[in-house]
Amino acid sequence: MTNMATSTQPVQTQEVMIGAISSLLRDGEWVATGTLSPLPAAAALLAKMTHAPHLTTLIYGDPDFRLSEGFHELFALAQKGKIDVFFLSGVQIDKQGRINLSILGDYDRPTVRLPGGAGSSMLSALVRRVIMFTTNHNQRLFVPKVDFINATAADDAPWRRGGLSHVVTPLCVMAFDGTKKEIVLESIFPGVSLEEVVRNTGFDLGIGERHIPTMNPLTDEELAVLRGPVQERMRRIYPQFAASVWGS
Amino acid sequence: MHSDLMKVRRDLKTVRDPYSGNEYVVVLPIIPDVAIIHASKGCRSGEITTDATRNDRLLAMAAKKTIAVVEELVEPEAVLPGRQEVFVASVHIDAVVLAPGGAHPTACPGIYETDAAHIREYVAASKDEQGFRAYMGKYIFSPEDHGRYLEVVNFHKG
Repeated sequence: MTNMATSTQPVQTQEVMIGAISSLLRDGEWVATGTLSPLPAAAALLAKMTHAPHLTTLIYGDPDFRLSEGFHELFALAQKGKIDVFFLSGVQIDKQGRINLSILGDYDRPTVRLPGGAGSSMLSALVRRVIMFTTNHNQRLFVPKVDFINATAADDAPWRRGGLSHVVTPLCVMAFDGTKKEIVLESIFPGVSLEEVVRNTGFDLGIGERHIPTMNPLTDEELAVLRGPVQERMRRIYPQFAASVWGS
Repeated sequence: MHSDLMKVRRDLKTVRDPYSGNEYVVVLPIIPDVAIIHASKGCRSGEITTDATRNDRLLAMAAKKTIAVVEELVEPEAVLPGRQEVFVASVHIDAVVLAPGGAHPTACPGIYETDAAHIREYVAASKDEQGFRAYMGKYIFSPEDHGRYLEVVNFHKG
């Protein structure tokens, strides 16, 4: 890669994903991250310190982000329409961009019972853009049809403000095509082949005759900011994640 | 509204909002008989301070009875919330229990962290009946009081 100038350490997959998520955030947006979301938290901080200085970051668990009442305030902010971007993940994600966080198999006799959808249904409808992130990329995750729908990417609810924008995985960035109402492949990360993405995805990515570009998600400057001030902030917010990526 | 929860949760109803005309899902409020919450500080009259990143105040206000387990018993004028805390008035609290380390193996933010090693031990032990019983015997039934429990789990602040 071309980023070696800033560091002798090779760029890691998590850093690539942070860079890709950061590049999807637009200056001026209100960006909130929920529990267990270190990649989006780092991405929001990176965006604010580089291309989006007017970003408002609401990072749950950040000692610098104070709530006056409780976690339910974040839900209230979304209901009020103040949150532009929120991040979700799923145990299954399908071609229509629907996510499953509840069960695998039949609902009454599941093979695996998961923690559940929490606020995903409400949040996906009442924030303007949802960016999904996953920590792996395989056919168990990207399935033709989810076993249970917790949240939809788009639907006709009259009060709906937005929906799925992008999906960022360790291999690539996918976009939600609002016309076709389907997930399509947008770009792949350096060192990843198109064949690898297709083989590990359980549905058609709508590639057709399109050329899929390889994205370089981090400039030298962004990598330096990520490994400098962003890393320092992340050590306070997500100490275990920071240690796993940047050492202790 | 478009979630499969609407198929499996027969108790969820929809209603037409008379103002907007929109159809919304409505749920009954959860009213616990008893809520047990953990607080950093409390006084004898039942005023407490608790973590603002959770929903403990909401829980205390919703429940029929609320028991607050406190890390420290202080004078009323010292029940002041820290930077990441909220105050809960005594009208919402029915009992205060002094038990330092009472949130273990989870965290009491600002005082001690989650005991991740203990939680991993519990997760491994709870995979089968025998392991679960052994865990319960060692940590729950054998220690004669809370102080002894903290010794058995090797509790330490920080």
